[in-house]
Amino acid sequence: MAQYVKKDDDLDEEEYSPFSGIEKGAVLQEARVFNDPQLDSRRCSQVITKLLYLLNQGDTFTKTEATEVFFSVTKLFQARDIGLRRMVYLIIKELSPSSDEVIIVTSSLMKDMNSKTDVYRANAIRVLCRITDGTLLTQIERYLKQAIVDKNPVVASAALVSGIHLLQTNPEIVKRWSNEVQEAVQSRAALVQFHALALLQQIRQNDRLAVSKLVTSLTKGTVRSPLAQCLLIRYTSQVIRESSMNGQTGDRPFYDYLEGCLRHKSEMVIFEAARAITELSGVTSRELTPAITVLQLFLSSSKPVLRFAAVRTLNKVAMTHPMAVTTCNIDMESLISDQNRSIATLAITTLLKTGNESGVDRLMKQITSFMSDIADEFKIVVVDAIRSLCLKFPLKFRTLMNFLSSILREEGGFEYKKAIVDSIVTIITDVPDAKEGGLLHLCEFIEDCEFTYLSTQILHFLGNEGPKTSDPSKYIRYIYNRVILENATVRASAVSTLAKFGAMVDSLKPRIFVLLRRCLYDNDDEVRDRATLYLNTIGGDGSVVETDKDVKGFLFGSLDLPLANLETSLKNYEPSEEPFDISSVSKAIKSQPFAEKKAAAKKPTGLGAPPAGPTSTADTYEKLLLSIPEFSTFGPLFKSSAPVELTESETEYAVNVVKHIFDKHVVFQFNCTNTIPEQLLENVTVVVDASEAEEFEEVATKPLTSLPYGTPGQTFVAFEKPEGVPAVGKFTNVLRFIVKEVDPSTGEAEEDGVEDEYQLEEFEVVAADYMLKVGVSNFRNAWESLGPDFERVDEYGLGPRESLKEAVSAVINLLGMQPCEGTEVVAANSRSHTCLLSGVYIGNVKVAVRLSFGVDSAKEVAMKLAVRSEDEAVSDAIHELVAN
Amino acid sequence: MLLAVLIANSEGNILVERFNGVPGEERLHWRSFLVKLGADNLKGVKNEELCVACHKSVYIVYTVLGHVSIYLVGKDEYDELALSEAIFVVTSAIKDVCGKPPTERLFLDKYGRICLCLDEIVWKGLLENTDKDRIKRLIRLKPPTDF
Repeated sequence: MAQYVKKDDDLDEEEYSPFSGIEKGAVLQEARVFNDPQLDSRRCSQVITKLLYLLNQGDTFTKTEATEVFFSVTKLFQARDIGLRRMVYLIIKELSPSSDEVIIVTSSLMKDMNSKTDVYRANAIRVLCRITDGTLLTQIERYLKQAIVDKNPVVASAALVSGIHLLQTNPEIVKRWSNEVQEAVQSRAALVQFHALALLQQIRQNDRLAVSKLVTSLTKGTVRSPLAQCLLIRYTSQVIRESSMNGQTGDRPFYDYLEGCLRHKSEMVIFEAARAITELSGVTSRELTPAITVLQLFLSSSKPVLRFAAVRTLNKVAMTHPMAVTTCNIDMESLISDQNRSIATLAITTLLKTGNESGVDRLMKQITSFMSDIADEFKIVVVDAIRSLCLKFPLKFRTLMNFLSSILREEGGFEYKKAIVDSIVTIITDVPDAKEGGLLHLCEFIEDCEFTYLSTQILHFLGNEGPKTSDPSKYIRYIYNRVILENATVRASAVSTLAKFGAMVDSLKPRIFVLLRRCLYDNDDEVRDRATLYLNTIGGDGSVVETDKDVKGFLFGSLDLPLANLETSLKNYEPSEEPFDISSVSKAIKSQPFAEKKAAAKKPTGLGAPPAGPTSTADTYEKLLLSIPEFSTFGPLFKSSAPVELTESETEYAVNVVKHIFDKHVVFQFNCTNTIPEQLLENVTVVVDASEAEEFEEVATKPLTSLPYGTPGQTFVAFEKPEGVPAVGKFTNVLRFIVKEVDPSTGEAEEDGVEDEYQLEEFEVVAADYMLKVGVSNFRNAWESLGPDFERVDEYGLGPRESLKEAVSAVINLLGMQPCEGTEVVAANSRSHTCLLSGVYIGNVKVAVRLSFGVDSAKEVAMKLAVRSEDEAVSDAIHELVAN
Repeated sequence: MLLAVLIANSEGNILVERFNGVPGEERLHWRSFLVKLGADNLKGVKNEELCVACHKSVYIVYTVLGHVSIYLVGKDEYDELALSEAIFVVTSAIKDVCGKPPTERLFLDKYGRICLCLDEIVWKGLLENTDKDRIKRLIRLKPPTDF
């Protein structure tokens, strides 16, 4: 109610509100007029309006208040005034009386429902359905079924829409109406057909064949309203999706229908069809073309909604088929000046995805003028798109870097600034030529940066990259300024950065010592401690200097641990006599970004519900497996793979498998979800056939006792394998369970169940499953520390490949190792590439790999593979992996 | 689902808000979000000229009619185009009841009728009636003429 503001009395008549000074208590008092023996219909209507006004402002009535008003309102059924009766229907719905109160109006409403006046019937149906419960519904079901096929469209629509709502609460009753609803789908009244189609699809949504039949018959027949046509297009795409999942080949079914809808007279239908076509899985450019053409026309429509819809859809298409969208670039450019900022942002980000290298400069000019008048959230989208563009066209880094640095100087919130800084850092890492300019931009930014977090991030990055530039001394001024001007956190970071310069650049050492010594008098103890420590380490206090290698290892070496894992382990550590053991921290890197992307792709269930916080999967897995007695003797978990889907999405049961690798064992964790509300699964197991995996022997199975609808559960199968050996093989799987019917209204399952099976896809254990992705911060050090003793070098021909980039990523995936120093990124059009990988092989053997690729004009890719490891056999094993 | 119909005056005070399937605790957030959206974008917009936005997977279509602004929020099948269809029905019904694009006073004078119209147009998040003449008759409990 917060928004309602009383009007001042002195405002002129025109502005004076009829609800001025309205108060709930007073209105409830007024509602007593409903009880008058001589009803004043006009007055009663006015009071109901006031009640509606209160409710529509977000005001609520207490239980007693609502009951009192409700009982008074029921008296109004005696009034003959038609306008008042209409208001009564509305206020009863708004008051939503409790089930024990409903009884008082049901007889009046039932009478109205059988009235000769059709409009009474329609309204009575709606009110009854709103306030009804299961028992009452069975009493009126007969009338509702009649109403669905009533010749008056108002009555039929009222019954059908009620059906859609009731399907949520009483599905078993509504499902009995499908014959009547089927008849209503053929209705000549446009809206009745629309409502009937929606209800029929919902009744049959779990029966694929029935939906397919419905779509087949309707796409051939007549659909009267554009709204119904849109629904039909949606259902059609669902059928197409499902049939393509079943692996049907040949022409795509219903494509002709969708294509035909592109020529419909209603824009809504055209758009729906175009969108459906763009979202077809594996859509070809021939299929896309007509849809893109109509969307292009919409781009220059005078209606903002159409422009928005079109540009939004094209933006999505540009992610997967950028070439298909290039034809719209000219129309898209004119949208940059669109009044609606959402449209303009979408247009820009689409252009950034589809534009070619020569157009970048012109595009950036247009964007610059546009950036000043949009909100931060839109700006972040643009910045992200610019980063991707720079990685796509590295030669354009100057223009793009200049743009980023100029917007970095302008006003903006933390998230926006962080996005820009992140983008500059990514570009510096991936485009070597951009380094020096980029670092200077960052230095200038920290001169006037209000965000401590960003300052410390930049200082850390500067410490790693600055000393490797041609003239490291030019950064010192910016760094030392931080020591003089900033807060303690930033000062401490600056001290660390200075030390890094000192350690790496001998010529700067004496000057750095002077600066660090000044920091010894800082008023913050962390800053002083750091200065003392670094002076000591790099020899600034005249003490005996540790070896150069140790110093660099100390300053630059990482812990070789994912920090998130370390954080979790430290949190779990309970202070005791036993010191914290860093080797107990898991080294497995979580593939969090992928998980996040997946989660983002899912349809959100509600509005603005906050996303679930990231959880440490590696830790969770280890805890979970340790808690199962059968597996507790397997020793420490070496690696858990990412989940591999064993079913298509949207099938009855969704199953994926996570492969957990131990030294002597492999445990398959099958994550199962039951998507059928009417079923309860019990004693769920996966029968794994390992006949194509000779070295594996099944040792244990842990069934899942019960798998109710919608709650995921796990079943496990464990295999023994030769110790330390990276055994590989293929596994075929069948889900076996006892299925019990569930009564959806009560949620109770039947006593007896039936045994059933469900075929799952097969999966493999491959050599990469035995490799942990463990990065190193300095590959050269790691490579040299492994030494040439167990180095194995060989050359391989990879045959003709799509591109060098594709070949590089294929080898990285095959080996399952962590790319280092951004070497997984291949510059566009380059003819050779070196990629550095590191990892830990089963048995805790460190491995480093140098891959040198070359490609000739026929796209034949050759690769030189150099492996160093702590074990000769492992170096050979890596070569075998590639050779096979 | 048509998640919300919200009508506010030119200062952003709520005149009508009807939510469907939006949890109580999120309503306040939506109310202020929509009002801010209107304050940022509706200045200078002509009567019934549609503005559009999306927030996560939810679409918003909104416009000005006389001295009131009207917002519709939808998701899934109620995307921007379906919402523009629905908002067209809402605006024509309001114009019909008020006889012209309403001032705030006129809107409040006809408040009861407008509530009835909205009740005929959107019922618990589903679009029920779309024809303004039929709606005009239905709110007076007169049968439609066109069947």
